[in-house]
Amino acid sequence: MARLADPPVSRGDVQDAGPARQPKAPLRFRLREPITGLLFVLPMLALFVVFRFVPAFGAVGMSFTDYKISGEYDFIGVDNYARLLDDPVFAVSLKATLVYAAVYVPFTVLVALGTALLLNSVVWGRGLFRGMLFMPYVTSFVFAGLIWRFVYEIDGLINGLLGRADLGPVDFLGDTSLVLPSLAAVSAWKGFGYSMLILVAGLKAIPRSYLEAALVDGANAWQRFRLVVLPLLRPALFFVLVIETIGAFQVFDTIYVMTGGGPVRASYTLVYALFDQGFRFFDFGYAATIGVVLFAIVLIVSLIQRLFLDREPT
Amino acid sequence: MTVQTAGVRQRHRLATMSLGGLLAVICLITVTPFALMIVVALSPAGSLTLPYALPDRLTWENITEIFSAAGFTRWTINSFVYSVLSMLIILLTASMAGYAFAKMRFPGRDALMWSFLATLMVPFQAMLIPYFVLVSRLGGLNTFWGLIVPTLANSQAVFLMRQFIRDLPDELFDAARIDGASEWRVYWRIVLPLTKPILATLAVFVFLWHWNDFLWPLVVAQSRDMQTLTVGLATLRSENVPLAQLMAAAAISVVPCLVVFALVQRFIVNSIAITGLK
Repeated sequence: MARLADPPVSRGDVQDAGPARQPKAPLRFRLREPITGLLFVLPMLALFVVFRFVPAFGAVGMSFTDYKISGEYDFIGVDNYARLLDDPVFAVSLKATLVYAAVYVPFTVLVALGTALLLNSVVWGRGLFRGMLFMPYVTSFVFAGLIWRFVYEIDGLINGLLGRADLGPVDFLGDTSLVLPSLAAVSAWKGFGYSMLILVAGLKAIPRSYLEAALVDGANAWQRFRLVVLPLLRPALFFVLVIETIGAFQVFDTIYVMTGGGPVRASYTLVYALFDQGFRFFDFGYAATIGVVLFAIVLIVSLIQRLFLDREPT
Repeated sequence: MTVQTAGVRQRHRLATMSLGGLLAVICLITVTPFALMIVVALSPAGSLTLPYALPDRLTWENITEIFSAAGFTRWTINSFVYSVLSMLIILLTASMAGYAFAKMRFPGRDALMWSFLATLMVPFQAMLIPYFVLVSRLGGLNTFWGLIVPTLANSQAVFLMRQFIRDLPDELFDAARIDGASEWRVYWRIVLPLTKPILATLAVFVFLWHWNDFLWPLVVAQSRDMQTLTVGLATLRSENVPLAQLMAAAAISVVPCLVVFALVQRFIVNSIAITGLK
């Protein structure tokens, strides 16, 4: 009788413990659940093994070879990594990516936070405003790049407006110091809606009574934001920060259709370098090495996130 | 006292109105590129248009012309095949795996689930080269299966399904099993109908991911016949197609996304807030 009360997970141990008084269920019944379970997982598992696990380890493996497009390769140890350290083009791409991220992340998060706060405070037309702000998010980066090329061009929208005021023209995509901020603005336009929605959800979760209490205590709008809203919004804000940082290091599509990495490699980012090495120079081993660096960066960002979230008192 | 309250209230109203005004301006800036695109796409060839002047008449000819341009119709079909097939297969395999992970016991279940999730940490671009080598070795370059199959291993979909199914009461499944239903029947008759809301959300996201995807189609389907719409747009750009036609092509490419968005906006908004799907 005691057997019946046992939690199902420990069934195995109990059976080993001694001669069973109840007859064992036939083997095919006991195996039925594990086998059906595995069968249900099998299609996805096969996909993961072939198209996730193998390529992930393959990327690391290839970074130690001089893999050619023909499929021939030799193991060359850490030569690819040594080459990265000496490669001025790689240094340029790393710097471009960091500058891009340094512009993109604060800008996007601030816009997302600002619009989230505004959406939270307006009393009418909230759904309409939210829809308009979120609309670019459902489009593709290629689409955003094409439209914004026209906005930025010498005979494009902004210079057309500047020209009316007898200003400009400004060569947004042709100037080496303007190109990365201009590209960052395009990605921000396309992507901020997502972070905005996360932050709106975060704001909604803040109890009204906290804000009312602060109001009664005579806190002004800025104090209410800094002392009540901001601390409570921190987890959401941090999530958004990490998501956008990881996204910034993966920028490619807009650059491909807007600048091609130029002018003079001013927008030649990490993924663009990977693509170039792989599909223009067909140096697969070296391109895979750049991929491993990208993975390492994303991993570090995620680990920092974990570290900070563990410290979170909540 | 009452005067003061009235003053405070008025100031409050003024602040709210100015915040609303600011938000309206930001919204306007956000949608300006769309409006610009539509006006240019509908401008007759050779006539003066934005940013210099509004066109004196509007025409559909850019749209009809782009559809007769080499490849455009084919790219649109390719994008639909890529997005819809991927969506259907992911919905099926992810819900099956999610059901097993949520409600069945088998050795290594949790380890398997976490190993699926761990792959989220590896950015797709970092695996681009091995992906390409693998698919080209298997003979998948410039084929639909080469385009679709590698994108099906989707841990976000599996995890979402698992979380949702886990919260369904066990009694439902047990009752069906006692009545003699096979696991497959339980899945088909109970799990799928009960997970309709989450399946719909997932369908929207998977469709958008694939429709907007660029880097993978760019490298795996390079022949003009097999390009998807995003890659085709980039091709048109590099071929210096007239701006009005390029804008027409871009406008057409975004229609399915906007239709999906308009239909299920509230849905998308809620699921981002709840699940963090991206």
